[in-house]
Amino acid sequence: MSESRTHVRILASDGAARVIRSELTRRGFLGLAVAAGGAAVLAACSPGGGASPGAQATGGAVEDSLTIYTWGDYDAPELLEEFTSSVGPTITLDSFSSNEELISKLVAAKGTSGYDIVVPTGVFIPQMIENGLLSKLNLDLIPNIEHMDDAYLGRAWDPSNEYSICKAWGTTGFVYDKTVITRELTTWADFLDAAQNEASGKTSVLDDPGDLTGIYFWANGIDWNTDDEAELAACEEYLVTSLAPHLSAFDSYPGGSAIPQGTQVLMQSWNGDARLGILESPDPDRWQWVLGGPDTEIWMDNWAIAAGAPHPEAAHAFINFILAPENALVELDYIGYHTGAKDIEQAAADEGLPMLDFVFFTPEQVETMHEGEVNEAQERRVEIWNATKAAAGA
Amino acid sequence: MRRSPGFALAIPAWVWLALFFVAPVGMVVWFSFGYKPGIFGTHANDVLSLDRYAEALSPTFFSTFQNTLWVGIAGTTLCLLIGMPVAYWMAVKVRPERRGILIALVLVPFWTNFLVRTIGWQVLLAPEGWVSTLLQAVGVTQGPLEILYTRTAVLIGVVYNYLPLMILPLFVAFDRVGGPLREASKDLGAGRWTTFFRVTLPLAGPGVVAGVLLVFIPLMGDYITATVLGGAKGNMVGQLVASQFQAAQNWALGSAMAVLLILVITATIAVGAAIVWLILLPIRRRNRLVLGDAPPPSDPPAAAERELQGVGA
Repeated sequence: MSESRTHVRILASDGAARVIRSELTRRGFLGLAVAAGGAAVLAACSPGGGASPGAQATGGAVEDSLTIYTWGDYDAPELLEEFTSSVGPTITLDSFSSNEELISKLVAAKGTSGYDIVVPTGVFIPQMIENGLLSKLNLDLIPNIEHMDDAYLGRAWDPSNEYSICKAWGTTGFVYDKTVITRELTTWADFLDAAQNEASGKTSVLDDPGDLTGIYFWANGIDWNTDDEAELAACEEYLVTSLAPHLSAFDSYPGGSAIPQGTQVLMQSWNGDARLGILESPDPDRWQWVLGGPDTEIWMDNWAIAAGAPHPEAAHAFINFILAPENALVELDYIGYHTGAKDIEQAAADEGLPMLDFVFFTPEQVETMHEGEVNEAQERRVEIWNATKAAAGA
Repeated sequence: MRRSPGFALAIPAWVWLALFFVAPVGMVVWFSFGYKPGIFGTHANDVLSLDRYAEALSPTFFSTFQNTLWVGIAGTTLCLLIGMPVAYWMAVKVRPERRGILIALVLVPFWTNFLVRTIGWQVLLAPEGWVSTLLQAVGVTQGPLEILYTRTAVLIGVVYNYLPLMILPLFVAFDRVGGPLREASKDLGAGRWTTFFRVTLPLAGPGVVAGVLLVFIPLMGDYITATVLGGAKGNMVGQLVASQFQAAQNWALGSAMAVLLILVITATIAVGAAIVWLILLPIRRRNRLVLGDAPPPSDPPAAAERELQGVGA
């Protein structure tokens, strides 16, 4: 308690609300974290909660509801229903479309967002922990973590899984129309070449600064997290003058409509989305999926619990439920991404799930996948992304 | 100042606007003078400067704004050209008891969510959508429809989404002009077109202005319609602002862009109003009401009045 009191004093010394609102400084956030975790506040918004964010869930009675804030259409509906009928809590789903949106909402709510489970991408987790947006997991309540593959636990952003457990991971490649591009494409350099030739005016790229600049960096053997200005400038020059005139859309989910409707010839795409699109296409043989080479991205979304979560017991129960091997398989079938569960590749093959080469990759392929970073170059990448869009729209 | 009971009627609106319009815009203006402190910060205001405005005025901003302005002006013009005859027909030609149902029909698109409507068009216009298949089947087009992700698609979507906002104020304005004035004009010898351009349209002017503003201003800030249907060709400046707030987490630069956008839209409207004012200047001179003695016969604008007086006599 004395510790919280110290923090409250810091909050008070920060004074004006404006300073607190300019939250993302470390000091502001310490105050914020304690405001969310302090006993008084928690007692007000979470009757069953403990005294600190780390000890919210103790294995007590599961609350009667649960709110999940996640990416759109990211969990199998039948699992959500089954959780409600077998464990009890009714689930409210809300969705965001970017990590930034998730973070800004949690920051603005200062621990009173009402969300229990959130699903941030790994690289954003250190920022969220540092700013007190997440509460620690009580792994004793999540015994099913033993079904997770060690390769997908203990990642750099949360080495001992204190705050997060892998929900799904994926990678970036591209899909092309074999009836138009008759040669074989295998690398990002091929992608760029085809975009400027056969697929000119019929090419889409992901609507994301990192993935857009990534195409150039991966094709040229440059670290895609580079903050070297010369490399970034060369990237900008290439994307704006050489690639942009040939782009027809910035589409993060070509699997949703562009592939089934045959709108584009060449599309940068995440693996699970490409799989869904080709599964829904009336003419699946027309499309070829390629994992981008020689290097590409790996991203991992993670189960985590928001600071000040009103239903921590239900949140732990849900994460434990969803990690059960049989449920992991249902999730994989629905979203088309690897959930990080152990031996799931064999289980999926036994189940006869379609197009598993979009979901599972060889260890050699995984070697070529690199995590993104939220670093000093982020603003510059956004600038390049906007300049490319402006050039493509001209 | 008016007596207090009258003023009290406006208090809810004033409070609402002050809290939810003036205060947020004020915050945006305030943020725009700040800067982004480090990679995990969004904005700080301990050092104030105009540097963000200098950064915002980049070639990217101008070319994106140019595209936005094109969509805004072309979309508004099309809405006006399509909306005006419909509104006139509804207000003047249709039997009054049928107007209610027509207004309801105009509003039908609003019953569905904005995004769903726009994505509906994306499905329709796709190269393998049913419109494309149908046109090929009946032999109107040879290959698949190549409209999606072009500016034509953007305009189709814009007109569809914003037409009701143009038709409704025009309808009200035409309706208010009233039949007796049109009859009087005809009695005085004016034809259909003269009546429309010299009686109905000038009196409906406020409705035209309202319709144009109701379409143009939201359209300049809307980037959903343009990106969903225009793809890369639907790049709008609203996205630029959103990208700074979200992806770059640079609220200071995003705010500066938002303030610039507000200023440029205001300037565009001012320029547009000035152009219209100049174009209408000779017409206004011709139409001005002359009280007292008739002007000397040599004055050319007086020809119209003379004509009308002659008919009246």
